[in-house]
Amino acid sequence: MTLAETLSFLPYGQYALYIWLSYGITFILIIGLFVRASINYKKIRTQLKNKYAREND
Amino acid sequence: MWKWIQKLASPKVFYDTTNKLVPWFFWPFIVLTIIGLYWGLVLAPADYQQGESFRIIYIHVPSAWMSMLVYFIMAVTGAIGLIWQIKMAEVVAKVSAPIGATFTLIALVTGAIWGKPMWGTWWVWDARLTSELILLFLYLAYISLNNAFDNPRTAAKASSILAIVGLVNLPIIHYSVKWWNTLHQGSMFNDISNPSMHPDMLWPLLIMVFAFQFLYGVLTLISARDEVLVREQNSRWVRAVVTVEQL
Repeated sequence: MTLAETLSFLPYGQYALYIWLSYGITFILIIGLFVRASINYKKIRTQLKNKYAREND
Repeated sequence: MWKWIQKLASPKVFYDTTNKLVPWFFWPFIVLTIIGLYWGLVLAPADYQQGESFRIIYIHVPSAWMSMLVYFIMAVTGAIGLIWQIKMAEVVAKVSAPIGATFTLIALVTGAIWGKPMWGTWWVWDARLTSELILLFLYLAYISLNNAFDNPRTAAKASSILAIVGLVNLPIIHYSVKWWNTLHQGSMFNDISNPSMHPDMLWPLLIMVFAFQFLYGVLTLISARDEVLVREQNSRWVRAVVTVEQL
């Protein structure tokens, strides 16, 4: 029994594996872009705050 | 119009404008994605030849279109930066590259996953697939080149030239299905007034295309905003912004 057949109980039957795999990977990659943007947001502001604090000392 | 563009070339105005525009791109992206996915995954009927597997097009086609559109924007803004020395154009070009590379990766991966049940193979060295893979390599080369220089202006100049040269790949991707005998299906929109898709399948696809455009917009605005802060870190206004903003 192939993996596609095993997962055929999901919506879209014999194509469930392919459809959900595509949407899953896309979702992860898009979320990854937002997470990267969020990490950069915090990192850049922390670095700049530290820099300005050092200059003020 | 020209005055507005000149105003936007100022880093402070650019930063303020991007800040204001973020929610105007984020919420349409969310709403359009929910409508497009519900329509495409639930309401649209199965294809008479491909069955349910055709539903992959609702992410494959928008990401493939965006991969080319983002590259075009990257090359044009890069050229604007080169010719008119507008720093904000360089910023847009730089932050577009990782987003465009991700769209290209999504198009390639979802295409491969669709190809397995339809063609019986994950990959073929078909003209469309190969030219799209070259596009991914162009994005990666652009990102590498941009990171190879300490001076952001030098980095922008070198990588913009690469982006402009790489533009030649876009018509190759678009016309590959006409110029060569390929396994990849032809364009669905040769005649816009008479598309080869039923409206119940076409509308969710168009909605997802718009959703991905808003996605590109919001990600570009967020990244450009941060890039401006880094580039202008010695300015007084950046110091004021960073000091006031809460993390």
